[in-house]
Amino acid sequence: MSRRGIISVGMIVAGLGLMVYAYFAGAAPWCATGVACSNPRLEWSPAIFVLGVLLAFSSALYYEVSNGPKE
Amino acid sequence: MATQDIMSRSLPQGVGRWSRGWLAFMTASSVGLVIGIIGWWMEHDQGMVATGMRDLGSMGGATWGLYISMVVYLVGVSFAGITVAALIRLFDLEQLKGVARMAEVLTVVALLLGAAAIVVDLGQPLRALVNLFRYARPQSPFFGTFSLVVSGYLFASLVYLYLTSRPDAARLARIPSRLQTLYRWWAAGYQDTADQRVRDRRTTFWLALAILPLLIVAHSSLGFVFGLQVGRPGWFGTLQAPAFVVLAGVSGVGHLIVLAAILRKVVGQEHRIGLDAFAWLGRFLMLLLFVYTYFVVVEVFTTIYQPTVAEQQISEAILTGRYAWIFWVSIAALVIPAVILAQMALTKRWRIGWLVALGISVNVGAIGKRYLIVIPSETHGQLMPYGVGSYSPSLVEYAVVLGLFSLGALLIGGFMKLFPIVEMEEENS
Repeated sequence: MSRRGIISVGMIVAGLGLMVYAYFAGAAPWCATGVACSNPRLEWSPAIFVLGVLLAFSSALYYEVSNGPKE
Repeated sequence: MATQDIMSRSLPQGVGRWSRGWLAFMTASSVGLVIGIIGWWMEHDQGMVATGMRDLGSMGGATWGLYISMVVYLVGVSFAGITVAALIRLFDLEQLKGVARMAEVLTVVALLLGAAAIVVDLGQPLRALVNLFRYARPQSPFFGTFSLVVSGYLFASLVYLYLTSRPDAARLARIPSRLQTLYRWWAAGYQDTADQRVRDRRTTFWLALAILPLLIVAHSSLGFVFGLQVGRPGWFGTLQAPAFVVLAGVSGVGHLIVLAAILRKVVGQEHRIGLDAFAWLGRFLMLLLFVYTYFVVVEVFTTIYQPTVAEQQISEAILTGRYAWIFWVSIAALVIPAVILAQMALTKRWRIGWLVALGISVNVGAIGKRYLIVIPSETHGQLMPYGVGSYSPSLVEYAVVLGLFSLGALLIGGFMKLFPIVEMEEENS
């Protein structure tokens, strides 16, 4: 795989990682009662999730637009 | 300057040139937008009391009204645009390539308007938007709606629109015009070489493949906003999510047919968007309409078979009461086109004029159905001991909605003068 491809796949993996972290570890836990169930464990977790989505789709932009390192 | 004007004339599809008809259209749209801004300013000045919305129960009203109906409708319109565009890339549907870009533009514009419709519904838009990014809970369907629909879906559509437009930008950058610098920047190094074409096709294929499941999830999560509310009779139900997806397709394909029929004439591209493209869209619309009709029959049968008191109140209001005229007009506007489309498909006699009329009809039906999804449950679905409520949109709400549609018209009209709305034909190299 070219370096351009490796960096693009890396962006997708990093984006998915951010989404998984924000959804399962950073945001409010999956429980029904109590204050702990309402508050996010890490504030701005939803914003981190959105960043992950943007990063994953930006990989297509990078793959297409960047001149990339010489292959 | 005069030389540059002459040079601009070589840009295709009227790009970079103003016509009287276009100026009149943009002026009318600007007037509509100004009316909308005045309406929104009045809403801000007087508070939400300027709208027809009131608290549930104690004030006998509805807290979600015309704006939220429009959110659901506009996000629905966005569905078909990107779906059709993605299907064209995935299955190489040659006859539809002429509508691909306008489908992508329709998606982006409809999503922007949908997001704007949420903002106008909020008394404190800034606070609400900040708090969503800060505190939203993954358990809430709103999390999926704003993270997947507004950010993921919109961003993915913008990336898709940009990447698929680069080859045309590269072609336009070779034509001397006042917009040449913009096209060079837009093309971002694309030179239409064989290697770049392969990479472009590969990227748009995978992007299309990623977008299709994303938009199903995104539209379903919007359906879940209603369908998961166990304490709200009329909304709670398993059919909400799939019905949202199918009706989204109906309104979007209908919109695309109307847009394609108008724009092919305006930009003189009748040969690129032929009858076979309309026939394909017509068959797709027919299929979606029959599936949706089946969902409506199942939904109505379920609610009248052995309903709870609240469910019975809602179904009576919709079928024979206060909302009956909206329901039956909507059903007629959806079912009659399905029958006409079936007849066209059987006889293989497609008429563009008829398809445009059917496209408008299904959109009227879709708006009616969206309204009925949002409102009756709030006014007639009380589980608490409150009486039946009522809701009528105020003039302020109508003005704001007019402003939203005018903004959409301005965005599409503006795009047309900046870039070809119909993909240019590939050059052989």
